[in-house]
Amino acid sequence: MTNSPAAADTKLPPVFGRFSFSLRDAGTLIGLVVIMAVFATLVPGFLSERNLINILQQSSINACLALGMTLVIISGGIDLSVGPTAAFSAVITATLLLSGTPVPLAILAGLGIGVACGFVNGILVAYVGLQPFIVTLGTLSTYRALALIYTGGNPVLGIPAGFRSLFNGSLFGIPTPVLIVAVVALAAWILLKKTPIGEYLLAVGGNEEAAYIAGVPIARTKITAYVISGGLAALASLILIGRLGAAEPILGNLWELDAIAAAAIGGASLMGGKGSILGTILGAIILGTMRNGLTLMNVQAFYQLLATGLIILVAMMIDRATRGRE
Amino acid sequence: MTPRLRFEAISKSFPGVNALSDVSFDVASGEIHGLLGENGAGKSTLLRILSGVFRPTSGSMFVDGENVFFRKPMDARGAGIAMIHQELQQVPHLSVAQNMFLGHPLTSVGGLFVSKREQERRAAEALSMIEPGIDPAAPISSLKVAQRQIVEIARALLDRARIIAMDEPTSSLTPSEFERLAEVITKLSATGVSIIYVSHKMDEVFRICQRASVMRDGKLVGAVDVQTASHQDVITMMVGRELMQEQHVSHASATVKLEARNLSSLTKIRDASFKLHRGEVLGIAGLVGSGRTELLRLLAGVDKFSAGSIAIDGKTVDLRNPRDAISAGIGLVPEERKREGIIPVRSVTINMALASLGRFSKAGIIQSGKLRNTAQDLLRRVNLRPLQLDRPIRLFSGGNQQKAIIARWLASKSQVLLFDEPTRGIDVGAKAEIYHLIEALAADGHSIVVVSSELPEVIRLSDRVLVMRDGKIGAELARADLTESAIVAHAIPGADTGKTPAPAA
Repeated sequence: MTNSPAAADTKLPPVFGRFSFSLRDAGTLIGLVVIMAVFATLVPGFLSERNLINILQQSSINACLALGMTLVIISGGIDLSVGPTAAFSAVITATLLLSGTPVPLAILAGLGIGVACGFVNGILVAYVGLQPFIVTLGTLSTYRALALIYTGGNPVLGIPAGFRSLFNGSLFGIPTPVLIVAVVALAAWILLKKTPIGEYLLAVGGNEEAAYIAGVPIARTKITAYVISGGLAALASLILIGRLGAAEPILGNLWELDAIAAAAIGGASLMGGKGSILGTILGAIILGTMRNGLTLMNVQAFYQLLATGLIILVAMMIDRATRGRE
Repeated sequence: MTPRLRFEAISKSFPGVNALSDVSFDVASGEIHGLLGENGAGKSTLLRILSGVFRPTSGSMFVDGENVFFRKPMDARGAGIAMIHQELQQVPHLSVAQNMFLGHPLTSVGGLFVSKREQERRAAEALSMIEPGIDPAAPISSLKVAQRQIVEIARALLDRARIIAMDEPTSSLTPSEFERLAEVITKLSATGVSIIYVSHKMDEVFRICQRASVMRDGKLVGAVDVQTASHQDVITMMVGRELMQEQHVSHASATVKLEARNLSSLTKIRDASFKLHRGEVLGIAGLVGSGRTELLRLLAGVDKFSAGSIAIDGKTVDLRNPRDAISAGIGLVPEERKREGIIPVRSVTINMALASLGRFSKAGIIQSGKLRNTAQDLLRRVNLRPLQLDRPIRLFSGGNQQKAIIARWLASKSQVLLFDEPTRGIDVGAKAEIYHLIEALAADGHSIVVVSSELPEVIRLSDRVLVMRDGKIGAELARADLTESAIVAHAIPGADTGKTPAPAA
């Protein structure tokens, strides 16, 4: 097949735009702007630089999880085990740090635990053929139990300052968790938009049977998604224990729900085949903004929960209505 | 006299296709009205509008003179319209009676309990009118397809249907089962029920209908009085041009490209051996269920064979999955495009490139310029319309989706292309294009296998035809011996050549 040089500079937009900003992402952004505008009028100082950075910092853990979750959801799966994965990884990392293991090694071990947890999920889904919901429901309990058994149920206290400064410091006035998540988001965006693996994820979630016949490596693709999700859950836990200075075996309870919500608000379809990295980040920031704004307004926790729930439902209804039938 | 059913200027459009435009005709009460047309002519769309699944974009329907408007399938059912689908919509492990009362069971104690016995009694009553031999308590999965169809008809009677629409009812029936069905239908029409009989098989329509409407490309091209019209008239109406009469040119060379030796699978295929030459178009004919699709799936690495071997260019290849087959240069264009062919929400470019993303990548990153250039070239070559590279493939018509799947195997530089029912669900214009594409690919040196249920299609395309029967290759017919009756004679178990459903003309 000859490549006609003339075709290179056709007027049509390129398949992979430098920065393809979809209509759906624009919708999520508008949602965020509206919510921010509402809080700006209700809460003095809401739009201050300090508070905005606060929001980003508070959203970073959920955003980190939600990025992995987005990839899993795109592949047609779900990962309910992210919270326990994070907890297991956190207690191991913290114990290693306390026993004097060098920080980089402890971090690698912690991430390794997350990757291993994800790998187990992936194998059970891709090779054993169990449904993702069931697999990760099972490992949700299993990983949590491992964290509890390992620590005897007690928190691991006294994480060294060297580690904490890495995950709780700031660079050029921006908190390191925000920077870390920004880098992860960029990497995830490249993965999804520019690599064959990204296309495979979309294809497997979009139509697994057709993808198989087209030669897509189904098992490898699914396992990749779960491994990334597990690794990012571990990373999120490192951010958390860096901030708290302690690792509790019960940390990360219900994290999976926030992560799924961020991905869904950002346009991921739980049927698979669809999802957006930018949308997920915006979704996580929307949830973070809600919490931040309501807290500043001194709204009780019960009502915060109510508001968050309603935002998710409203977002999904708007999504449904604007997509039209089919 | 008011007609039982009247379509008035019905139109329906979907994104990218005008499925129906301005269709009007009447069906009298007690009439068996044929609806003829090629695949993709719009017959099924019209039926879905009649049964309330789709709403027409414009136009109206009248039942016994009353303007009806269906928002959902239940509305159509309430108006006395019953649909019998090609793929029977039954729950296999439930009983005949349970299936007949599916969705609206007979209950007692104010809706608390299902009255199983009463259901069975009423089911038996309805069945006795048309086919007394069926036990209403038997699980539906224990019945033959023909009997299951009769159960559907009995179910329509229970609903007091005035209009029964049957979509390709004979696609998996044997000739004698068809005769039985024809009897039932005739008996039914005598009681005043109107039947719309949808088929692309002319002889069936000629055999049981009084009148027929012929559709093509979403339009009604004419009404036929079955008593006076000839087969040839109807073919010309259906196809619109002399599509099937074009000259066949063979590009087959003497070089063997692919050789299957004694292939067997655990499910269906038994001891299949054949050779496929470079530039050859090899047709595979046979009844539904004879193992044609299964054989293609073995060749494409989708299913595994239990014995035998496949060689490409004389070298045995190990096909554990489609990836292996693709690297061996084999590509499958599957029958069920929606389920097995396309990734609906992705662009046509990605759908084309899916099997060969590695070729377009450098250091793990897809090179969009290279991908785009190839997409331009290949999608233009297969004449994709509209040529919009970023458009999701689901917005294209069936024919254009098929072209994109063909382009997929051009992108991966596959040398052996396997087509399973290449023109199913494709309109007539695109059908001709697909034929020309297949011929051009063969002329280019590709080796091609075509599985098709449409005999004219097999005959039109093939240099040579294998006829399958019960999982075995029953016969091989050379180009010179290719006739519909010859294929049918080898396809039907125990067939005595005279009594086959071949066209009488």
